[in-house]
Order: sequence, then structure tokens, then C-alpha cells
Amino acid sequence: MKVSLRWLADFIDLPTDDPDVLADVFASLGHEVEGVERLDVEFRGVRTAEVVEVAPHPDADRLRVCKVSTGEETVDVVCGAWNFEAGAIVAFAEPGAVLAGNFEIGRRTIRGVTSHGMICSEQELGLGEDHRGILVLDPGTEVGVDFAGLVARPDTVFDLSITPNRPDCMSMLGIARELAAYYEIPYRVPPADVDEAETSTKVTITIEDPTGCYRFVGREVADVTVGPSPLWMRLRLQAAGVRPISNVVDVSNYVMLEMGQPLHTFDLDEVAEETIIVRRARPGERLRTLDGIDRELHPDDLVVADAAGPSALAGTMGGEHSEVSDRTRRVLIEAAAWDPPTIMYMSKRHGLRSEASSRFERGVDPNLAPDAAARAARLIVELAGGVALGGARDVVAVPKEPWTVDLTTKDVARVLGTGFDRDRIAHLLGRLGLRSEPRGDDGLSVTVPTSRPDLTRPIDLVEEVARLWGYDRFDETVPFGRGGSWTAEQRREQVLRRTLTGAGVYQAVPLSFMRIEDLDALGVPDDDERRAVIRLKNPLRDEESALRTTLLPGLLRAARYNVSHGTDDVALFEIGKVFFARSSPDDPRVPEQPDRLAFILVGTFGPGELQRPPRPVDVFVGTALWRLLSHRLDLADIDLVSGSLPGLHPGRTAALVSDGTTIGHIGELHPAAARAFELPGRVVVAEVALAPILAPRPAWQFAEPSIYPPVTFDLAFVVADQVAAADLIRVTTAAAGGLVEEARTFDEFRGESIGRGRKSLAVTFVLRAADRTLSGDEVAEVRRAMVEAARTELNAELRGET
Amino acid sequence: MEEDRVDVTLDAFRLPGGGEHLIQQTIDEVCEIFIGLGYVVAAGPEAELGYYNFDALNTPPTHPSRLESDTLYLDWGDPADEVLLRTHTSPMQARFMEAHDPPVYVVVPGKVYRADTPDATHSPVFHQIEGLAVDSDITMSDLKGTLAHFAREFFGPRQRIRLLPHFFPFTEPSAEMHAACFHCEGTGATCRVCGGSGWIELMGCGMVDPNVFEAVGYDPGEVTGFAFGMGVERLAQVRHGLSPIRHVFENDIRVLRQFRGIA
Repeated sequence: MKVSLRWLADFIDLPTDDPDVLADVFASLGHEVEGVERLDVEFRGVRTAEVVEVAPHPDADRLRVCKVSTGEETVDVVCGAWNFEAGAIVAFAEPGAVLAGNFEIGRRTIRGVTSHGMICSEQELGLGEDHRGILVLDPGTEVGVDFAGLVARPDTVFDLSITPNRPDCMSMLGIARELAAYYEIPYRVPPADVDEAETSTKVTITIEDPTGCYRFVGREVADVTVGPSPLWMRLRLQAAGVRPISNVVDVSNYVMLEMGQPLHTFDLDEVAEETIIVRRARPGERLRTLDGIDRELHPDDLVVADAAGPSALAGTMGGEHSEVSDRTRRVLIEAAAWDPPTIMYMSKRHGLRSEASSRFERGVDPNLAPDAAARAARLIVELAGGVALGGARDVVAVPKEPWTVDLTTKDVARVLGTGFDRDRIAHLLGRLGLRSEPRGDDGLSVTVPTSRPDLTRPIDLVEEVARLWGYDRFDETVPFGRGGSWTAEQRREQVLRRTLTGAGVYQAVPLSFMRIEDLDALGVPDDDERRAVIRLKNPLRDEESALRTTLLPGLLRAARYNVSHGTDDVALFEIGKVFFARSSPDDPRVPEQPDRLAFILVGTFGPGELQRPPRPVDVFVGTALWRLLSHRLDLADIDLVSGSLPGLHPGRTAALVSDGTTIGHIGELHPAAARAFELPGRVVVAEVALAPILAPRPAWQFAEPSIYPPVTFDLAFVVADQVAAADLIRVTTAAAGGLVEEARTFDEFRGESIGRGRKSLAVTFVLRAADRTLSGDEVAEVRRAMVEAARTELNAELRGET
Repeated sequence: MEEDRVDVTLDAFRLPGGGEHLIQQTIDEVCEIFIGLGYVVAAGPEAELGYYNFDALNTPPTHPSRLESDTLYLDWGDPADEVLLRTHTSPMQARFMEAHDPPVYVVVPGKVYRADTPDATHSPVFHQIEGLAVDSDITMSDLKGTLAHFAREFFGPRQRIRLLPHFFPFTEPSAEMHAACFHCEGTGATCRVCGGSGWIELMGCGMVDPNVFEAVGYDPGEVTGFAFGMGVERLAQVRHGLSPIRHVFENDIRVLRQFRGIA
């Protein structure tokens, strides 16, 4: 809502015109100032002048030579515009004048004719965008006066953001009312009395759909002469951001901006049978709207129809057929009150948002219509001549009367604190024009005008009390809750994040979407749970058409982005939700949306040294990160075993198993998938359910470190290829009866000497007892038992020992 | 010893970097400020019911924010449930109150979604932190004092705030919270942070509307409360100058590396 201070002065005498002060006042009233525009006179030396004669240019078809008189002298001026004739009064820049953009006017000879100045367009004067013709001033404008005095400048225009609950503020009058309440000063209502002819209009108006239309006021003005509106009105409309069109149309826009009631004007001669019917559109009906678009109407569309069919989209846009034009002689002014949702859905449906629809969507006071229609009739008669006919129609389908809201001082005190007694509350509300009567011991009965549909409950009035009192006048106090802390899960998640970041991984935050093609690229089969995809009903782009069922595509794309921007080494993790097309165990009405942890490694990772870059990533880097997490989060109950997952390398994937359930995988991306995501080399990924990781574990218990010396020895076994190193360690450790303090694989070897399908695993064992020094015999006995267990359980053959 | 001398400035051994995302750091920092005030931290579903996202929050069935031009709807579930991607963290106000008796002091960080095509200032996904305090005697002054405390903790001890009237369906009175521009301290006509106004719009807030209490089964005659919702990207943006917003979601390591610890 653009508010010109000069225009506002019609309605209220403000104590200041300081833009900064007023901007603060608007803000404190809840009307955010989105911009402040200063309108200055951008020219000097321009006077009004009359064109006394127009003649063709002797040597140029597209130019004319005008004799221009300022009253004192008459000079020749060459002009290329054709939108005027002799008798026109114009803004004339004499030699020496300066126009907008610091453009100085001199005498110029154009094709043999000397031009003693220039006839100006709006644009050249800095008054508007129009440069198709020169600015023609109102007939009767005094000639020879400084034009700067006629342009209503300087002015300040505030661009206010009006919240959707305040339809009453979408007008100069509404803003004046707010400022009047703030400053406790009076405001003026624009005159709406109109002299009516004795003849009455013959227009008939029927509201067939009272759910869509509450009230319809129609007024006829006959014998109008459509033409340009006067300069003052055009300038005001332009300052408000509305393009002037013609006097009749401009009046309807002007009254809308002034009073907040959008109006429509019909060429009554084009309204079939002078009959207006408000109804929903019928199947197959079409309407060519003012913007020239032929629209197919929807059965929910509300139309203003005549006897022949739809003539306008109610409250949104008029139709071309009944549009007011230069030939219009009889005007029907429509001032109506429409159902806000009907207008909102209709304007959205047709992609039409107009000044009118934006007001009707919020809800225009139905009781504004009669005055607004009369005001418009008065202005049309004033500017376009003609006569307002009697018998104005006012069809009320749904009457709306002021209502009362009961309020107690307790209602106010509960929300705003102490300090508001009944008098103070009544006074604050009274500033807004809300009348209060005492009710009971501490209550008020407050009468709300129909312009304030937002005030229906006591709490609504409490807000107005607070607003008028001033939010800045409230104390600052800090209540305390009942003691808060992170939950155990939240703390464990922090440990998880800090473990990964400490190891050198960055946290990523990708979007929560994927494309179905991402699953294809990963080779995800049809029966995989990752295919239980939820699609968006109204995606904006293909990239955001489905909710992700895996965190991997987002990380893969992030890795791709980094690689393609010259970052070869990528280590990223994410904690976030995936979404499956099945009911959530927490609330079956919403989809299952568990949290996941995922990471991705590309390039190299880990410490680097001179001449020794970090290690190229492979699955072992991924499992090392897991072991680090397992240690920091006490995840010994989750086993890392050999596994597989479509999309991952079949021979280089680990599964994480908790209580017999696979909760995630760590592995290298399948080479085909890596190619699909355009990632080089081995790509390590992991994706794990978060809940089993974050579930609190029992507090770990202290183990007294042994004071006795350790015994260290290595064992190398030859085993079948499929025997896991972890199993070998598990079996041997179990056979040692609790003496193994540490077991660490230090070599894995395959070769001719061992035979196909077999491998050698070499393990260092550290044994130690809590209560004694282990004897050589005891160690030998334990070692034998370990070897024997490996042989019987894993068919492992001892290859060597040291 | 002289022959053992090395160039200690040589980066002969390098440990990898790594770090938490600025969004995460900001969420944790804000949550800790409120934990200090006795709040708990909760999370809720991102794929949410129309009921919690709108109806329980006193948003009428015809409110424009429900349109498909604003809200992303999911092709899943009972159509009557209008399963959608939550447009704010406020649905957790209702879910949390349904599950807990008053008093309630809770903050809820999380992702939220809007039907926006990514550009310099828009993203279909961003992050909010919701705050809710409900007790027997919560007033406007408590809202104001709590947010002023937050602003001082987050931006510095001299930070000032102001509340301006605004409109949200689920609070009444409603307000927009502005913090005094810490960058130019109100002096810079061309300040990159506040644009010369001297104030930075930080969040929406207000006193919980009685209709919200009704919807969750609280007696609006027994309790009052305040709620606020702040944009995490916005906080990060004003304090660290991170802009445009796509950098939040692009995960460019050259950007992530800049996210040094803030506390």
C-alpha cells in the first residue's frame, strides 16, 4: 500500500512530515515500511504555455512546428509528438530550462527550423514513464505560470506492508484512521454526497449467490464524456503505483485507494438489458477479460453477468465487452462486497492478482459500498460531466451490523500484565473508534465497527490495547522453565558429530529431495525399500519431485559439486531424515521418516606428510570411521560384518548388524553408480539408521588396569578367502579365556605360495592377566588353545608364529 | 643439537580438517541459550498433517498459505489428512502440548519447506527454531524479556531489541522481533546487514492464541503462553554474512571450511 503524504493531508493534519518519524510511527502500529520514496521536482524553468497554432514542418513529415505562447511571447517550437492540437496547454521548457536527468534545453535548429525550447513529456519532467506523447495539461490551466507549482511535489511516498488481518488499512482513509488513533487527533472522511437527477436508473440487480456476494450497490451516471483525468488525479494515481487510464476508470481506482472499496465501472450500453446478475459461472462459459485474455470459466468462479452472459470476474477483473471506452456515455458504478475466499481462489485460479482482488481477499467492509459508490458518482460528474441518476440500487444479501465484544480487565491483565484499568482500556480502544460501555464490575462491552472484521474475541481487543499502548512500553522479564538439558540422545548425537568432524569429515546439509533416476543410477531393484518413494503433489522442479529414501544421492551430488569445482578430496557426512511410503510407527497418519547418518569419502583421507599424501579412500577408511564412532559411542553391540547392498561394490561392503537386524552399510560405491554420479576413483559411502546408534547404553564400568606385564606374540593363519578377519579374532580371543587385551591384524596376504581361494591373516595378540604374571607354560597353553579353536571352528591352518 | 634443527613452520605432517555445518552450530548455540532458561529441546515430523501445520494453529481453511503455490503437498496418505511438508516448526507447538501437560518450556529446531524455487534468497528447504513457553502467568513482558535475553546472549551484551505489531494466525497479540543492527549500530545508510534502517528483522513471535490452546486441550482460562519462530539461515546470515542462501545447501567444502566454531 503506497501512501503519499500530500494525499494523506486531505484526510488528516499530521503534526510532522518527517519521513523517519512517520516510518517509526507506522512500524509501531504494525504497518511495516518497505520503502520510502521521495518525489522531487526534477526540472526548473518550465512554464505552462498554450499551443496557439500547429503547422507541418516544411522539411520533415514526422515533425510539426508549433507556435507556443506563454502569454508574454509566442515562439516557434518543433515537436515530434502528435497527441495534441492547437489550443492545448502544455508544459513548455524555454531555452535555459533544465529537465529531469539534468538535461538542459537550448535553441536548436531542426531541419532548417529553429526551435525555441521544448514541449515536454511526463518522462522528460520526471513525473512518470509516459513518453509516447507530450503532457497535455487540463483545459483552463493558467498559462505562463511556473509548472513546478502544479505537480504536487515535493512529496514522500511510504510503501507499507499491510498484514492480511487489516483490510481496513488498504486505503488512505484507513491509514489516516490509524494515525488519528496514534496521535489522538481527528481525521476527515471524503465527501460522498452527490446531486442526483430526478430520473431514476432502470438497472436491475440480482444476487443469485449470497455465499459469494454480500452486497451490491449500483449507481448510474449518464451523459459522461470519457477523456483524460486531470493532472492532479493522474499524479496521485501514479504516486500510488496505479496507471491512469481515463477519467471514469481513474475515478474508480482513486476512490478505491482513498476509501478502500474497489469499484468497477461498466459501459451501461454494453450491459444487456441493463440487468446485473451475480452468480457462479455456468459450464462452458467464457469471458474475455480486460487484459485481452479469453478465459474459460470454472463453475466456482463468481461472475457479474448481464442478460447475455458473464460481464466481469467478480472483484477481480472486468470484461472487455463492457469496458468503459472513449465512446461510453452511460456508466454503471459497481460497489460490491464479495466473499474473500471466493475471490482468493478465483484470482489464483486465473493467475490474476489485482488491486481489487488483493483487497477483497482480505475482506472489504460491506457497509463501505454505498458511500464509495456515491463518492465515485460525485467525482465522475465532476471530472467527466454528466449526471448521476436517482434510484441507486443497494442489494443486501447478507446484512452486516456492528457487533459487541465483552472484555474484562482480567482478560487484559492475563496477557499484558498489570497497569490496565477499565478507563485506560476504554480510552485506548476509543482512540480506534471503538465505543465501550461499562459492563459488570470490571468489564466493558465494546462495539466494533464492520470495518474491523479482525476484532471478534476479547483477545483481539487485548491486542489492540497492546498496540495502542505501544509494545515498546512493556517491561522485560524472563520466566524460567522447569530445568532443561539435552536429552541423552541429543548428547550422543553431538558426540557423533564431533567425532566425525574431529576425524576430518565436514557436515553437509543437502536438500531433502531426490529424483527417481537417482535410484536407477544406484541400481536399486524394484523390491528394495528405497523404492517406497513419496512423490510431491506439486513439485516446482524435477530435482525436487520426490522425498529421498536414502541420504546417498544428496551426498553424491555434493561430492560431485566439489570435485567439479576443483576439490578432489571430499569427506562429508549428513544427519537427516529419509521418508518412506508407509505409516510412521509414532503417528500412522504421517509417513515413516527415520533419521539417518550417512557419509561419503572421495579422493584421499587422513593425515598427510611430505612426499606422502593421505591414503586414497577405500572401504577400510569407512570402516575405520565406524570403529572410531563405535568406540566413542560405546557401540560394541553393533557388529560390522561382510554385507551387500544394491548400489555398493559387492565385494567391498560391510553391514552393520544390531540384534540380528541390519541397520546400515559401509562400502565402496559400485563402479557403475560412481560413473553415473561422475565421481572418480573409489567412492566410500555409509548410511546407517540413527536411532540404534543414539539409543543410550548402560553406563560403562571401570576396569582396573593390570599391574602385571603383557605377553605379546603374533600368529599367522591360512584360511579360506571367505573367512572374516573379525571372526578369526573373535574365535581366538574366546579361546584365550579373557586374557586377550588387544588383538590387531597386521597383515593380509594372498599368493601362489598359499594357493587359490585362500589367504593369510597375521594377528598380533597382547595377553595379560589381571592378577598375576603369565608364565611361559601358561602362555604356551593358551596359544595352543587359540590355534586349536581357529583350526576346528574356521579350518584355519597355522602358517607361522613368532 | 644444531644438526637436529628443523624448519618448524614446515607443514610436514597434516591432519585433516572437518567441522560442523554453520546451521548446526547455530541451532546448538540457540538451543543452549534456552536450555539455560530451563527449556527442553524437541524434534518433530517434517512430513506433517495439514491439521498440525494449519488447523491446530488457528489457520482458517481458506488461508492463502495453504495453497499449492506456497505449501508442498505429498502424494501419500489419506487425502483428508492433507499430508504435507511442514512450512514451519510451529506444528510442534501443538504436538508437544498434546503430549505434555503445562507448564511447557520447549524449543524445536528443524527443517521446514516451502514451494520456492532456489534462488539468491529462497530455498525450498530451510531451518527454523520454534520456541514455546506456556505457564499459569506468562505475559507480553515475559516474551519481550526472553527474546531480549536471547539477543544479548547471541549477539552480545549490549544488544537491544524491539517488538513491532504484526499478524500470525496462531498468536495474539503478534509481533515481529527486530534486533538493533550490530553491524552499523544504526548509523550506516547503506549497511549490508540492515539496509540502513538500523534494525534487523529476526523472527515472528507473539502470545499463544486461545484457539491454539483449545485445539490441544489446554484451558485458555488457566494458562497463557508465548511462542516464537526464528529462521536459522537468517541468524547465520546476519551474524556471518553468509549469502546467498544456496551456499547453505551446496555443501562446497570451500564454504564448509569457513564454518569455524562460534562458541
